[in-house]
Amino acid sequence: MSVALGIDLGTTNSVAAIATSTGVEFILGPRGDRVHPSVVAFPSSGGVVVGADAKRYRLTEPQHVIHSAKRFIGQNIRSPLVQLAMTGVRYKLVEGPNQQPIVVVRDRKMTMPEISSNVLLHLKRSAERQLGQPVKEAVITVPANFTDGQRQATKEAGRLAGLDVMRLINEPTAAALAHGFGRDRQELVCVFDFGGGTFDVSILRINNEMFEVLASDGDFFLGGDDLDRALAEVLAADFTRQLRVDPRPHAALMMKLMMGAEAIKCHLSENDAAEGEIDGLDLPGGVSGKLPFSVTRKQFEDLVGGYTQRTIEVTRQVMAAAGVSPRDIGDVLCVGGSTRIPVIRRKLAEVFGREPNHTINPDEVVAQGAAIQAGSLTATLSAGTGMGARDAVATAGHSSLATGNRTLPMGVAKRPVLLDVNPATLAVHTAGGFTERLLDKNAPIPIERTRVFTTARDNQQRVEIDCCRGENRKYVENEPLGTLVLEDLPAKARGDLKIEVSFRVDADGILHVRALDQQSGVRQEAHLQVLGAPSTSDSAAGAE
Amino acid sequence: MSVRSEALQWAQRICARTNPEPHQLLEIPADAGMEEAQEAFHKAARILHPDLHRTTLTPEDLEVVTTAYAKVAGAYQEFRSQRMTTTRMRPMHIGPTAAPAPRPIAPPTDGPIPTRTTPIPKSAHVVPETTPSAASSAMSSKALIYYRKAELALRRGDLRGAMLQLKMAIGADPASTFLRSALGEVEAEVAKQLK
Ligand SMILES: Nc1ncnc2c1ncn2[C@@H]1O[C@H](COP(=O)(O)OP(=O)(O)OP(=O)(O)O)[C@@H](O)[C@H]1O
Ligand SMILES: [Mg+2]
Repeated sequence: MSVALGIDLGTTNSVAAIATSTGVEFILGPRGDRVHPSVVAFPSSGGVVVGADAKRYRLTEPQHVIHSAKRFIGQNIRSPLVQLAMTGVRYKLVEGPNQQPIVVVRDRKMTMPEISSNVLLHLKRSAERQLGQPVKEAVITVPANFTDGQRQATKEAGRLAGLDVMRLINEPTAAALAHGFGRDRQELVCVFDFGGGTFDVSILRINNEMFEVLASDGDFFLGGDDLDRALAEVLAADFTRQLRVDPRPHAALMMKLMMGAEAIKCHLSENDAAEGEIDGLDLPGGVSGKLPFSVTRKQFEDLVGGYTQRTIEVTRQVMAAAGVSPRDIGDVLCVGGSTRIPVIRRKLAEVFGREPNHTINPDEVVAQGAAIQAGSLTATLSAGTGMGARDAVATAGHSSLATGNRTLPMGVAKRPVLLDVNPATLAVHTAGGFTERLLDKNAPIPIERTRVFTTARDNQQRVEIDCCRGENRKYVENEPLGTLVLEDLPAKARGDLKIEVSFRVDADGILHVRALDQQSGVRQEAHLQVLGAPSTSDSAAGAE
Repeated sequence: MSVRSEALQWAQRICARTNPEPHQLLEIPADAGMEEAQEAFHKAARILHPDLHRTTLTPEDLEVVTTAYAKVAGAYQEFRSQRMTTTRMRPMHIGPTAAPAPRPIAPPTDGPIPTRTTPIPKSAHVVPETTPSAASSAMSSKALIYYRKAELALRRGDLRGAMLQLKMAIGADPASTFLRSALGEVEAEVAKQLK
């Protein structure tokens, strides 16, 4: 019997687990840790190093250490936010085919899916070693607001790692599944997922085995990385003032400041002030310098106030979109390392009038949900087997039914049904520069809708169907996705030709568009080529 | 009847319909309310959802079930949006008069066909024409972050989000006239939409 892995492929950290009838088993790193840094190093000494060991090279050769790849995967390198994120990394990124970002290490060029596939392969191998059997299938989680291109690229990464990606599921949904699985609950939950690189909020209705997302929104460029960068900039300014050298052009110095900023940030989650000095700062002249710092929690909260406020704004918007009020929410689930920041929990408590749930583990719950879904898709798992989040106790790698002092009802086996939603409105370009919406944001997936369009002129034999993403009535105000062309149509009077356009968003959140001339049967079926996504033919080859 | 064959029969019934109305796919009366529609959708989810049949159906049958379920979900979305706009819209997917026409692309003659006639601007028209890099080089990096987020919000059509971000950008860089004029334009756009 093969096992299917659940993988939380994070910006900073990844976690993998399997669900068995006795509990959730986490895949452990070399030192027994459940959390694997999403870091890939290509050290000068040769080879590829992944995970905790790769992190060690950050100081000595920062330009060979690829971290935060999730911020670039499936993205268009020309987008302003990508350009901004590039200022936060010390490795080299260039524009590749289809405007996708390409990592350059020495003379080696790699696509983002290739980078992430190293992390996935590392997890796959660790799992195989730990479980003593091959692992082929996996469920991988992605931020709820990931676009089509980002999802395609993530699947591609799985494929390159030799995994059959059965499904991509949204991170907040996975968390809700881990929380509610096997518990026969009826409640509304708000999942607030604030990690290293992305931010998501989802409102779900849990009704026994059914997990229905009512609305979801977020920002895939908002996370702990941004808080680190904000603080590192302050440190860099101090550095310039005190040591009379601008550290910003120096990769190793900036890396050290970023790491210092992250440590200060985490310290401030437990303490009211952080004081000390960052040493070992190698100045250009060969001298080693140190930077004293003193930051209070209040100062930090003010510095990142714009970001934290934005998370709260989005939370309110999502509640409005779901048509629920804070009072209706039965539980607030905090997911992601950045929810350890006290001001976040305080603001959430203000919004909801109650403290967020304390029992779930913000680092592990997403992988746990992915594992449950993987087990359920391969029919090796059913409800009532003690996979709920609360049963994940901190033994080495195993959360078993026997621990936790609690017996779960071994009732009728019911597989969970996840009703996730479409992350963005999808539409086509119509006459007059307007759009015709086919699929709404927050509509349940998988979903399919068909519309019949007609030609605007006599004898029109060619039709282009421009597809876009966005809520705007005007086409140009949305994000173009690609164009489908129907050619050699029979010459007909305007309005006589009927063209059927179908949009389907599959259960992974990936869009498929089809157009069909109803009479002649001329059919164009195409997978839209999204800018920034790996084109279907290129992987390593395209990047060379 | 087993769950499996019930699902398959249901799916085949759904897929056999040509140009169906949403209520027909949901198998509820034409004048049904939202509650009935939701109930119908939930029932479909419990029985028809493709994940439940992944390991038991052949790939072909699974595709039928997936398509049927996806169509029911589409009908549910349509039903929901119809109910939200109080007057029931004319069904779009029948006759040519009711259907929106794709924009004419080919030239009126039989000459060579240009691939694209309308260039697509990168961002919404409310953003001032200045390129972001030129405008932003003078901005503080904090303001720049907010400004870029405002741009993203605009591209998503989220005017309020853009306003919020621009205000934060101005907070970070109060001297920037560029940011103020951008905010002015977004505010004007919001006011226009409110009317
Ligand atoms: N105690 C703490 N206080 C503040 N921030 C913390 C704390 N612990 C971890 N973090 C931050 O949490 C982030 C990592 O969180 P997490 O591992 O959930 O992210 P991820 O899953 O890798 O990213 P994402 O889900 O966004 O892709 C880092 O930015 C880290 O600095
Ligand atoms: Mg995460």
